[in-house]
Amino acid sequence: MTKELTVMMLTWEFPPRIIGGISPHVYYLSRNLAKNGVKVYVVTCDFPEAPQHEVVDGVEVFRIDSYKNPSPDFATWVYLMNVNMQKEAAALVNSISGNVDIFHAHDWLVANAGIGLKHVFRKPLLTTIHSTEIGRRNGIHFDYERMIHETEAWLTYEAWKVICCSDYMVSHVKWAFGLPTDKLVMIPNGVDAEAYTRMEQDDLSSFRGKFALPEEKIVLFVGRLVYEKGVHVLVNAVPKVLEKVNAKFIIVGNGYMKEQLSNIVKNMGLAHKVQFTGFVDDETLRKLQKCADVSVVPSLFEPFGIVALEAMAAKSPVVVSDTGGLSEIVEHDVTGVKVYANNPESLAWGITKVLLDENFANLIKANAYKKVQEKYNWNKIAQQTKANYETVLSEYSKSFWA
Amino acid sequence: MHVIIFSWEYPPRVVGQLANYVREVAVQLAKNNVKTTVVTYHDFLTGQHEEQEGIIIYRVTNPVRTHIGVLTWVLTLNQEVERAAANIYYNAHKQVDLIDVHDWHFTPAAVTLKKALNLPFVFSVESLEEHRSHGANSPFNMAIKSLEWLGMYEAEKLVVKSEWMRDEIYRLYKVPLEKIKVIQPKSVNWIKNILETYKSVAGGTASK
Repeated sequence: MTKELTVMMLTWEFPPRIIGGISPHVYYLSRNLAKNGVKVYVVTCDFPEAPQHEVVDGVEVFRIDSYKNPSPDFATWVYLMNVNMQKEAAALVNSISGNVDIFHAHDWLVANAGIGLKHVFRKPLLTTIHSTEIGRRNGIHFDYERMIHETEAWLTYEAWKVICCSDYMVSHVKWAFGLPTDKLVMIPNGVDAEAYTRMEQDDLSSFRGKFALPEEKIVLFVGRLVYEKGVHVLVNAVPKVLEKVNAKFIIVGNGYMKEQLSNIVKNMGLAHKVQFTGFVDDETLRKLQKCADVSVVPSLFEPFGIVALEAMAAKSPVVVSDTGGLSEIVEHDVTGVKVYANNPESLAWGITKVLLDENFANLIKANAYKKVQEKYNWNKIAQQTKANYETVLSEYSKSFWA
Repeated sequence: MHVIIFSWEYPPRVVGQLANYVREVAVQLAKNNVKTTVVTYHDFLTGQHEEQEGIIIYRVTNPVRTHIGVLTWVLTLNQEVERAAANIYYNAHKQVDLIDVHDWHFTPAAVTLKKALNLPFVFSVESLEEHRSHGANSPFNMAIKSLEWLGMYEAEKLVVKSEWMRDEIYRLYKVPLEKIKVIQPKSVNWIKNILETYKSVAGGTASK
């Protein structure tokens, strides 16, 4: 091992380039690893106006030219981008005299680069599998999907350890790629609770007034408006909730179902009770989460369910469907309410229960906040990750590569 | 001197003219006391094999079986070529002088090895995408051309078989003429010239 534990993260997105969940994940993980004495290099794709090299909260970030080669399709772009990422990362490692202990690759999008660097420098490779092609597509149907699936399998094969963010994903990844149990590690995803506590003193009543009347309870949904997020289940639950409670439904996000859903709402004569906001900026989102009397995550498929964690950090009581990662995050009647997936009756029951029983709502949100601080705290997650790096390095030190 | 040759075809896998040409180069190098290791592709005859001339052949297969085109196929296969070359390098206690890459397929692996381990490479150009595809410039052709460009830019020297090819490379890629060596396969000094080119390149990259 080099003087201080040194890790090179490979990721196709890092702020300000944000496409999905990997970008914030690597951002929070890296800065908290740095706080815990790990030297972190992040090698990622470029973004307009973002510098090629910068130090962000103790993390060295290098952005590579990711659109250098013309590409016929997305997957070919990924593999070509990996040629440049690998080239630049190799030069970087060489320039610091090979002082990198571990390469950590996030998803198949950087598989080639991670695998190549592992072999040319003979250092261990770890991977975090955030999602799988077989899960995203609900099966493998075309060669294009199979190629990505096999690339994911290859990455997990080459990795020393495979990290997943929930027990659900551990078993899913184990099944999808036929991995041995001892290769898999569960380290949860985290949430930045401080971003919400910073707003604790703010008076949000006028902000709230823009979305709902004072006598209306706010029911919040945040997510892409696509089938697997179950937003149609929520829409079907709206009249059932309104029979019992006066509420306003705020639906944040975009997706192909948006028009269809807002038509359904209009036809029910409830357009004044359901508001589609589209995308909102981070600050508006956090304020909405703080104002919500209940946050709903009615997903049909969910590898992790970060939006439930955010609501818990915002001290908003949560109602989630009992599926995937959500089943693990929420303990029924303790840190939230679990309802049957794809069942509007059950969802309406859960929402009504929280909105009508203030003591219960206060209890679950206090428990949930405590849980977020204990388990989904980025500092702890970084410490678990660091401990995992150390385990791998001690195994590595006994190998003929060391 | 120890050279690693990259070629996507080598007997018994013969696709075009390159396979037998590369084998002839390897045989002649071995005769001239150059330690020669060839890294090539074969779907199932994988692993290390020694030919009677003393040449070591290291065959790799594609770790990803399903592909949507030649490009994705080549780019995942490159990682296995790179892994094989790294193994050869470490097993030889880092005593490798250079890599000779034949055509564009394995240029990405050669570039990473150069950047990581300071292993210089020669790019031997048999043919160009411009001529193979009759000037087509779809994103697919352009991607292959961009890999040819990368190889030419990062190589220490280019070896071509005719003055025509040298001029085409100059016309299409603006590679300085002094970087391109014309070595005709049938010429008397064929292997001598290849050896001289290797010697001028061996011992580290120009940037070092």
